[in-house]
Amino acid sequence: MKNRKKISAVPYLFLAPAIILLVIFNLIPAIATFKQSLFAEAARRGADPIFVGFENFLRIFQDPVFWKSAKVTLFFSLIVNPLQTVFALGLALIATQKVKGIGFFRSIYLLPVAVSINVVVVVWGLMVDPNAGLLNGILKQIGLMEQPFLTSPQQVLNTIIMIISWKGVPYWALFFIAALQAIPVSAVEAAIIDGANKWQLLIRITIPILRPIILFVLVADTIVNFTLFVPIQLLTQGGPQLASNLVMYETYRRGFIYGDLGSSSVMLTIMFFVILIVIGLQNLVLREKN
Amino acid sequence: MDLKKYRWLSLIVCLLLVVFALAACGPGISEPAEIEADDVSAEEVEEPEPDAESESVEESEEAEVVTITWLRLAEWNAADPKIIETFEAEFPGIKVEVEEIPFSELVSQINLRFGADDTSIDVISADVPLVSSYGYKDWLLPLDDVFTAEELADFLPAALDAGTYDGSLLAAPVSTSTQLLYYNADAFEAAGITPPGQDERLTWEETIDAAQQLQVVGDDDTVEMWGFQWEQTTAPYQLLPLMGSLGGDYIGEGGLVVDGVVNSDSWIEAATFYYDVFNTYKVAPQGDAVNGPDLFVNGNLAMLIAGPWQISNFADNAEFDWNVSRHPYFEGGDVATSTGSWHLGVNSLSEHPEEAKAFVRWLSTGEGAEMWWRDGSHDFPAQQSVLAKFATHAEFDDPPMSFNRVAGDEATQGPIPRPVTVGYLEYDQIFRDTFQDIRIGTDPAEALDTMVDRLESEFAKYK
Repeated sequence: MKNRKKISAVPYLFLAPAIILLVIFNLIPAIATFKQSLFAEAARRGADPIFVGFENFLRIFQDPVFWKSAKVTLFFSLIVNPLQTVFALGLALIATQKVKGIGFFRSIYLLPVAVSINVVVVVWGLMVDPNAGLLNGILKQIGLMEQPFLTSPQQVLNTIIMIISWKGVPYWALFFIAALQAIPVSAVEAAIIDGANKWQLLIRITIPILRPIILFVLVADTIVNFTLFVPIQLLTQGGPQLASNLVMYETYRRGFIYGDLGSSSVMLTIMFFVILIVIGLQNLVLREKN
Repeated sequence: MDLKKYRWLSLIVCLLLVVFALAACGPGISEPAEIEADDVSAEEVEEPEPDAESESVEESEEAEVVTITWLRLAEWNAADPKIIETFEAEFPGIKVEVEEIPFSELVSQINLRFGADDTSIDVISADVPLVSSYGYKDWLLPLDDVFTAEELADFLPAALDAGTYDGSLLAAPVSTSTQLLYYNADAFEAAGITPPGQDERLTWEETIDAAQQLQVVGDDDTVEMWGFQWEQTTAPYQLLPLMGSLGGDYIGEGGLVVDGVVNSDSWIEAATFYYDVFNTYKVAPQGDAVNGPDLFVNGNLAMLIAGPWQISNFADNAEFDWNVSRHPYFEGGDVATSTGSWHLGVNSLSEHPEEAKAFVRWLSTGEGAEMWWRDGSHDFPAQQSVLAKFATHAEFDDPPMSFNRVAGDEATQGPIPRPVTVGYLEYDQIFRDTFQDIRIGTDPAEALDTMVDRLESEFAKYK
């Protein structure tokens, strides 16, 4: 009994470093943010912040800019997360094929992962520039109409999705490749002996085995995209007409440009709970039945 | 047994790693303070003391040197270091360190750092419409006791008023401003158009008509010479005179009402004109790959509206014949021009308020003010004694320095200051976003309605 108790404490002690860091860098700031959302900044210097309860929340819930931002974020997430997951799975399936030249393909498809997001965004920004961009130059050369990639409210979000997916898809594909390589050969061989074609193999064998990985990629991708900031800051600043004004950028704008930490904290708190709910739902739908 | 040993050993290693990681965080947090302390001691060591009588005297003299920090625009990084050196020679007990931030970041930096009760900044360069907001938040020390009556009387009255909040002078005027229409005279000649005289004022309609004639497009559809551009393409400072010329107000009652003001008919008309410049007539570039002054100085822009601070830039760098005219207005409308510029304020939490005030006084009056205008920002001075030199000194008789005389007169023609509101920071940012959207093709009325929504959202916290 005594020995067992000692052994059971060890895993927790091993986890302690990670837990301590999580508490310091995640939990405490999260609690501080929630606390800040309940206070209004004092108008005068030196005075203590004033406790206003949920007044900041009420103000934000009546704020049309926040709601527009929330709608943009929801639409963005509904498109970008499934899209990146499906494309990443597709890319992983291609990269694990045993065909001639696949080695070369495997070497180049990972290149976007190795480039910093800032560089990716700046270079793509130059390429989709409405006046002097490479893409419009190509469209013009082949006789097609030039496109307002970042300057049209209808196109801006699609352009952002394209840019971040260029970098994101190969990254998430890495997880699928690792999982695909771990699928037991016996299971595949048994299915082939039973007469399964490639499609049936994918639907009946591969995807069910990959289910936990799909869940992980979807959850992690959701968190990454809910907190997306760099492309918006560098390319659009939320415009045009707030069409790319994701909640994360609006949170930054209020907190760090306008100095309105109350509103900023409220938005972060709301986003925290929304992400929790979305991840909970994803878990519910995709978790193993047993 | 052995396995158990290793398990405990690896656990201890893990815990040690955490301790090291936390220890590594510690010095990082206090780094700035340490650097400051090092800097001061380095300065003290560098002070030449060859004839000092005793070490104790040296130490006490060195201890009296106070370092103050001035947060200012990065765009002034070409300012002659002799300005600060002259001040330090006159005030040997004070050393001035400069921290430079680009214009786009300066306002939010002040907001964040002062909001967090930062004491590392002693003096700030403040864009004048923000002074009331800083006063409302109690961020600046009153400067009423800093200046003599003569010095106060020397400031332009409008600039002095703009630096005053709630009856106290909170920010000392250093510069004011106006705008001129700069034009490439060679381009006018090539297009066969008679350029406007220095005292002539084109209407906006005439300006854009000329811009269309002046624009040169190459064989591959690339624009070789743009017709027209504003220096600050989306800034309220630059664009509000459009609305002002059509009789529009800049803000409503109490500085917090915007519905019916910024989406009024005069705003929609002005914004539609702005839209047409970029999207219908296409005489100005939609992107900011090259800014207006650079386009102009490189000979790729025929007309530019910009401040008098560009006179010395163009005089030094433009290799073509250029001239200036007055700021345009709408036909049948009023003459309205930009005004307002930079003031100096002292952080109310400064640890060296007296030294900071001494610096503010020196730079905003007399020799310091003139040096800052000539060799610093080249902004238009806010001191009447310095401005008077435009009219009397022979150095301003001939172009391009004589353009300063034109600017001096233009500064008195319909200047309308930017709106006074505690929410000016939000007003400025949202104005810029709105006009950027219009510039790239958003319907003006729709964009102004969004501007109302956004401003009302932000102003709610001040009501």
